[in-house]
Amino acid sequence: MPAWRYLNNFDWILLLAILAACSVGLAVIYSATTGTPSSGAFHRQLIWLGLGLLLMALALLIDYHTLAEFSYVFYGLGLLLLALTLVYGRVVNASKSWLGVGGMQFQPSELAKVATILMLAAYMGRERVRGLGVLHFSAICALVGLPVLLIMKQPDLGTAVTFAPLFAGVVFVGGIRVRTLLILGIIATLALPLAWGHLKPYQKERVKTFLEPTRDPKGSGYQLIQSLIAVGSGGLMGKGFLSGTQGQLQFLPEQHTDFVFAVLAEERGFVGAFLALGLYFAIIYRCLATARAARDRLGVFLAIGVVCVFAGQALLNIGVVVGLLPTTGVPLPLMSYGGSSLASTLLGMGLVLNVWMRRLVN
Amino acid sequence: MGFEQDYKGFQDYYEARRLNVRILIIQALFGAVLVVYLLAFWYLQVVKTDHYRRLSDSNRLRRVTIMPLRGVIKDAENRVLANSRIAFNIRLDREKVPDMRAFFPKLAGILGIPEATLHERLAKYRGRPAFEPVILKEDVDLAEAAYIESRRLELPMLSVEVESRRNYLYGPLAAHALGYVGEVSEDQIKTDPSGEYDLGEIVGKAGVEKQYDAGLKGVKGWKQVVVNSLGREIQEIEEGRKSNPGRALRLSIDLDLQRALEDAYADEAGSAVFLDPHSGAVLAMISRPAFDSNVFSRRFSQDTWDGLVRDPRHPLQNRVSLSKFAPGSVFKIVMSIAALEEGVATPARTDHCTGSWRFGDKTYQCWAIRKGGHGYLRMREAIIQSCNVYFYRLGNEMGIERISRWAHRLGFGEPTGIDLPYEESGTVPDPDWKRRAIPRDPVWHPGETISVSIGQGALEVTPIQMAVFAAAIGNGGTLYRPHLVLSREVREGVEEDERQDYVVRRVDLKPKTLEVIKDAMWGVVNDEGTGGRARIAGRDICAKTGTAQVFKASRDVDADKLPKEKRDHAWFVGFAPRDDPKIAWAVFVQNGGHGGTTAAPIARAVLERFFGKQDVRLGVQQLASVAVSQ
Repeated sequence: MPAWRYLNNFDWILLLAILAACSVGLAVIYSATTGTPSSGAFHRQLIWLGLGLLLMALALLIDYHTLAEFSYVFYGLGLLLLALTLVYGRVVNASKSWLGVGGMQFQPSELAKVATILMLAAYMGRERVRGLGVLHFSAICALVGLPVLLIMKQPDLGTAVTFAPLFAGVVFVGGIRVRTLLILGIIATLALPLAWGHLKPYQKERVKTFLEPTRDPKGSGYQLIQSLIAVGSGGLMGKGFLSGTQGQLQFLPEQHTDFVFAVLAEERGFVGAFLALGLYFAIIYRCLATARAARDRLGVFLAIGVVCVFAGQALLNIGVVVGLLPTTGVPLPLMSYGGSSLASTLLGMGLVLNVWMRRLVN
Repeated sequence: MGFEQDYKGFQDYYEARRLNVRILIIQALFGAVLVVYLLAFWYLQVVKTDHYRRLSDSNRLRRVTIMPLRGVIKDAENRVLANSRIAFNIRLDREKVPDMRAFFPKLAGILGIPEATLHERLAKYRGRPAFEPVILKEDVDLAEAAYIESRRLELPMLSVEVESRRNYLYGPLAAHALGYVGEVSEDQIKTDPSGEYDLGEIVGKAGVEKQYDAGLKGVKGWKQVVVNSLGREIQEIEEGRKSNPGRALRLSIDLDLQRALEDAYADEAGSAVFLDPHSGAVLAMISRPAFDSNVFSRRFSQDTWDGLVRDPRHPLQNRVSLSKFAPGSVFKIVMSIAALEEGVATPARTDHCTGSWRFGDKTYQCWAIRKGGHGYLRMREAIIQSCNVYFYRLGNEMGIERISRWAHRLGFGEPTGIDLPYEESGTVPDPDWKRRAIPRDPVWHPGETISVSIGQGALEVTPIQMAVFAAAIGNGGTLYRPHLVLSREVREGVEEDERQDYVVRRVDLKPKTLEVIKDAMWGVVNDEGTGGRARIAGRDICAKTGTAQVFKASRDVDADKLPKEKRDHAWFVGFAPRDDPKIAWAVFVQNGGHGGTTAAPIARAVLERFFGKQDVRLGVQQLASVAVSQ
């Protein structure tokens, strides 16, 4: 098929929304880090954005069927990198989740996420996987569970949690049987106390704090309280660019990473938050439209995988900022500072654009 | 087998529809969550915005108090005794040290502090927020402060904190008059009605520092600043109120006399006070053992505090106004005045001392018992020789009521009102007092009057009462309220004299009484009396010695051979010159033995300095008048 036809079928709205979200993210990172020890973050993010767009283009240009054929390779590579991280990784904030290549640092868990999406899509794309029985369900569990286990080992709860919406999305769209769902529910209920016992003290602390933020206002509740003050004091129109006091004066921790949306809401007010939520809605809506329009199951599950991870992360992050969810340390896709996260999100978006672009090809 | 070959599209239309429906459900779910979030933002940013604005303001705005510089304390000749100076402390920002243990050896090297001491310092901050800085070294010199400041890039965790610190230029000199400063106590903050104290504020804790704290501390200012989450000041946003420095205080103390007194006192314990007999202004005062007021200007350790509080010699106690002792023979002056004024005795009254006097079933001794008594003596000789027998009899004749009335009239048994915090009133006993004070033995015995007559028994006076009394005799019967402040700064650079009426009361004494008493006191020093060691040729010094018994030794024991703590207290109280007194005093030496031996030479040293200065002043005045007349 000639290239112009692909361009004709290109999802410009999604691309524009992505670029707009990235631009908003850059502006907020600039505002949140100017004059702080993290003032180099803006330039680093800019470089990562360039790299991410390059990866997106790459993911867009190669037919997703071809990519799916190599999903085993990508998945295996992802697991290998995760295993290597456990051995050679750099410890940041008590987690061993970074690998250095040359002068660059990246989080292999982010790459593994995309590889897992591709792998799951390839698995679900096979015609015989229709309706999920226990065997299929177990296979999906294993495919998602392997990288999650390795990531938990780092330990990086935040990234591990982002696999949950992927798993849930794929299982739901894949069509789980009621019986399987019931069994799953029972197992989950039984496993909950067990899982609670395995949580690290600080992770338990986060959950408890979410349930009662004022119980430790100087410790784990501090972030949430500061975030609410930042968002609330932003008012309707916000305090203005570079004028958000909570963020500028560093009351808000992780202001350019996990709480970047709070800075945005403080400086741009409800109007800004509304528009930013609109952007996320647009991206999610376009991805879901892609899933619905995909010409095959592989395309459907690729788009579903990407959108579930993307929306899951976005909704988790924003939910934390407004105090509706416990602090998990999940970055806001496209806006939070963090190269690996940005690059992997753009890579995923490249896959979705790929599916949309090829939806009409026979 | 590749996907391209395997691909057959959807199995059927129904499968595509099923997938479509599920995706639509997901879409609805995400949409619903986004709507919930939108509502949450609306609630926080539109409905509750005022609430969060207020929180945000209090979160970042801080009212910072600007502490004024404390007022200077000067002596009568405007020489600075206490001021404030800049002190540099080195502090550590723990947040900036990734590995404290690895940093310790380097830190110990830089600061010249043993590693163990560093460990100790930091241990105290365990459990405190990491952003709270730790003071590692206090009051370093400028060179060390500059060394740290110039290495800010290399050692970002160390910084120099500048603070103002009270500085007593002469260390322990006049420590009890000046007092000291310290951090306001929690009790003071709670009980202060003005509610103006801030935690950590420096206030006067003793001496004039406490008494005149209101003026000395000045007026605090404030400014509104924006702080970051570490509490660091980022920006000043409101001018607030400027602080007004504390007002200077000029004391009546003369540094030269004070130095002479301090030197003369050597290692003795006790107290002394020298007054202007015409105003009650304190010219010099000492209480020993003393302390270095500068010790309190630093953050001192619990050990230092415990050392001062638990010292059996009680260095913090101001013995001028807070310690009370028997007046000993000095009280014979009160007895003589009372007897003369009441007409119980005339100056010519003669008595015979055989060394002891039998009253009831008890024998009362005179100190001259070993040489067989003083023989026949009149009142003047009885005072000069300090004969006990003479005053035993006189006391017995007068009775305790009259003695007590005159003692009160002459300023004993009540506080003098000196401008120092806290004062003891002493004890002037009488039957009423005894009923109240000693319920198990409420009856007044005649023997007790005998004891009081020579300044013993339950009688207790403070050295400041003695000095006021001596001044009153010198000036003809006026009791002045002793005071330390000569003038106060009312506006910047403008001093105003304390225009207070310091007269407590005038005691009308017959001229004859005064003449006899003054002559007798002159004789004590100049006429073979017990105060000969204070004699200065041509200075007409009048005084009375006193020896207050501490330990009742048998008559065969040589008092000078007793251990120090068992020896008697020594008094030397007087005024000079006789006709127009310029100075009055009370010198008290704890366990000093005889007043004439230890206390008199101390007074003499101060008087020499006093008259020396007076001569110079007179000389300058004469030269000036000659110059004017020419």
